[in-house]
Amino acid sequence: MIYQIKIKGLLDRQWTDWFGGMTISATEDGDTLLTGPVEDQAALHGLLKKVRDSGMSLVSVGPSESDRGRDEMG
Amino acid sequence: MPEQILATKLHVPAPRPKAVPRPRLIARLNEGLHHKLTLISAPAGFGKTTLVSEWIAGSRQPAAWLSLDEEDSDPTRFLAYLVAALRSVAANIGEGVSGVPPTESILTALLNEIAAIPQPFIIVLDDYHLIDAKPVEDALAFLLEHLPPRMHLVIATREDPRLPLARLRARGQMAELRAADLRFTPAETTEFLNRMMGLGLAADDIAALETRTEGWIAGLQLAAISMRGHEDASGFIRSFSGSHGFVLDYLVEEVLDQQPENVQTFLLRTSILERLCGPLCDAVLPGSSASGQATLEYLEHANLFIVSLDNERRWYRYHHLFAELLRQRQQRKAASTAELHSLASQWYEDNGLEIDAFHHAAAANDIERAERLIEGKGMPLYFRGAMAPVLHWLESLPAAVLDARPSLWVTYASSLMMSGKPGGVERKLQAAEAALRSAEPDGQTRNLVGHIAAMRALVAASRNEAETMIAQSRRALEYLHPENLAVRTITSLTLGIAHQLQGDRAAAGRAFTEAMDIGQASGNMMITAAAATSLGQIQESENQLHPAAETYRRLLQVVGDPAHMAACEAHHGLARIYYQWNDLDAAERHAQQCARLAQQIECDISVACEVLQARLRLARGDPAGAAALLARAGETARASNFVNQLPHIAAAQVHTLLHQGNPAAAAQVAQSHDIPMSQARVMLARGDPAGALALLEPIRGRMDAKCWHDERLKLMILQALSLQAQGNTDEALRHLGDALALAQPGGFVRIFVDEGPRMASLLAEAATKGIMPDYTARLQTAFEAENPKSEVATDPNQLSRRELEVLRLVAQGLSNQEISERLFVSLSTVKGHNLRIFEKLQVKRRTEAIARARELGLLRQSTRTSS
Repeated sequence: MIYQIKIKGLLDRQWTDWFGGMTISATEDGDTLLTGPVEDQAALHGLLKKVRDSGMSLVSVGPSESDRGRDEMG
Repeated sequence: MPEQILATKLHVPAPRPKAVPRPRLIARLNEGLHHKLTLISAPAGFGKTTLVSEWIAGSRQPAAWLSLDEEDSDPTRFLAYLVAALRSVAANIGEGVSGVPPTESILTALLNEIAAIPQPFIIVLDDYHLIDAKPVEDALAFLLEHLPPRMHLVIATREDPRLPLARLRARGQMAELRAADLRFTPAETTEFLNRMMGLGLAADDIAALETRTEGWIAGLQLAAISMRGHEDASGFIRSFSGSHGFVLDYLVEEVLDQQPENVQTFLLRTSILERLCGPLCDAVLPGSSASGQATLEYLEHANLFIVSLDNERRWYRYHHLFAELLRQRQQRKAASTAELHSLASQWYEDNGLEIDAFHHAAAANDIERAERLIEGKGMPLYFRGAMAPVLHWLESLPAAVLDARPSLWVTYASSLMMSGKPGGVERKLQAAEAALRSAEPDGQTRNLVGHIAAMRALVAASRNEAETMIAQSRRALEYLHPENLAVRTITSLTLGIAHQLQGDRAAAGRAFTEAMDIGQASGNMMITAAAATSLGQIQESENQLHPAAETYRRLLQVVGDPAHMAACEAHHGLARIYYQWNDLDAAERHAQQCARLAQQIECDISVACEVLQARLRLARGDPAGAAALLARAGETARASNFVNQLPHIAAAQVHTLLHQGNPAAAAQVAQSHDIPMSQARVMLARGDPAGALALLEPIRGRMDAKCWHDERLKLMILQALSLQAQGNTDEALRHLGDALALAQPGGFVRIFVDEGPRMASLLAEAATKGIMPDYTARLQTAFEAENPKSEVATDPNQLSRRELEVLRLVAQGLSNQEISERLFVSLSTVKGHNLRIFEKLQVKRRTEAIARARELGLLRQSTRTSS
């Protein structure tokens, strides 16, 4: 399932490996979007922990807009 | 499992020299002391640890500190560290609480001990967010619910813990500091930047920084460090404020760039380490000219990223936030992360820290090294407190990796088994066998085949399938490498248990002895303990009391504190044996030790112990006390469903009731359980020796066939007594003689004395016939020591020992003169004794005295004179 994690502030693209290959893009209001496939809930929570432990601020988490309504995930 | 306590986790961090004083927060923390809990919940970089350590340094209350890590999610480990932390406040607290899980009864016992601490104290749990396990959270919730009034708990965390916070808030039992409270206020920011860091910034510059960092302390700190290296502070602030990058990322880059090349390399390469010391850093930076220790001290002095873990300048760690960022950078810059981990692993191994070495080997993805470290030198890591990380790693490996190394499949199966999950084991073993099909048929493969069989034997053991256990164990012992002591030990143990299940005590004894010897030689204390316990019990059952006592003592020496079950069994065994030897004080001591340890285990041995203590009371002439203990034991056994103990309790109750002269009640108890020997005893007491013999005969046959020596001995004694009651003295003496012969090597005493006056008189008969005179005399002495307390206890005018002696000689027909000569006293003394005897017995003449004494059972029933 494709997830989108929004964090506050701008993140350099070099962080993509750190976040397991998620794509890093900037939003208009100066935040960063991490977009990419997340295998399961455990993987999702692991990602969120990484965000937290790196000192970043979490804004929102959810399935990718374009992906919503497609596959269900347990 | 034995747990080595790392002192660094208990170290109370020293307050930082250049910290901004935050009196308003200190005041709030002090107010919080009125509550049970102070929760400090904020993301990284808000100065939580700094604040708490500052507060503690200035507080008058003693404080304990525990820095948590992921491994503390293991409840047993968590409890061990909690107790270790508490010990800094109260020296001997939680004795014996090592290697046990935090069950409610253990926590309650601990809480009671804590409640006894006379002064109020604080305990800090730092980095609580690293705990991620329900059992630990439940234990902590339990502690909080029943927190003793003088204990104050502080939890510092990056996320709200899974504790009943809403409830605590509602009840006013919690004080909280959150990010909003912890941010630097504009005043504090000014204090920090201008006074502490000496930057001398203008007000609007400070405001800009404050806005950009939102008072986030970590950000301000880095900004300050960064600005010290910049000529143009205002320029820096402008570009910093103008950028929208992730604050810390930006700043760390700045600060790093300002460091000399070798420091940058140092920081990046050592970022993979959980904790740092000089030599370890040197290992990870081969070819570096600067010493690791010197660099660490430089970083500490410059207040760069580093936190001290002790007072000796030996161990440090990076501030968590920076460690993350450094790691991220390190990964980006070089593909050599694996190499770094390997270097670290090697250093840890060289310094005997195998669990850390394993972590780094796993991180380096160095399968071979990791596997080697797991195996240890015959004593696998999962026996030494690293069960969770080992399993975790094995679970993460793809099947292909495991197939390439079949021994890994076996290790996987082994650790599953040891962690108490026998269900998944067979599948892993089959995978191992499949992978082995394409392997070379050499010694290593043979060894693995043997190991697989050993595992199958263990799985069968968890289901009590004796035949499979024997077959697989034999196969294992055939194929296992002769030097593979670790697996051989456990296989011998399994074999012993299998023989025991089949009732073949002799073979079991041999297997256990082997297991014990190899176990001790290979340093496997757990197996040695298990084997010794079983061996001792077998020796006891063979009436070999002296070897059994020796085995139990050896067991206690080997085991020490942590392995409770074994120590419990050993003390119980020794208590039983000393009881038999009629050393009641020693028996009492060991019974108390057993009871104390059993309290923490919640298994039926605590009930068995109570039964033994009841028998001790009975032996000391306190049947009421014995009955009370047995009633309580019965309640516990029924409540906890310890059905195995019920027959033993009943047997002891029968004994007690008969002793109290209540055969009817004894009969009732005996009928309601399958305890044929007690039933026979009751029949005997009610004057039906024929019935008793009829009951005992078929059982005797069974016992002879199975060589159950201990039961057989008891039975022979009962048969002897029954025959005597029928008047068949010759037969009775024959049985008694056999029993005495069997019992003498073991030094049994109470097995006879517990049978009371009937046995006493039968023994007297045996003595006159010259049957085993030394042993018989010893037993008679034991009886004499008992008698004064027994039947005459109800008589307020008890005869003294001396008076009894005189009375006995009177009953034998001696004149006063002869008595005075026999006892080496004067005639008038003898007459004086006689007077008092007549008074106490309320008679006027010798003949009356003799008759009355017989009635009261003061004299042995033998009327024959003995010299």
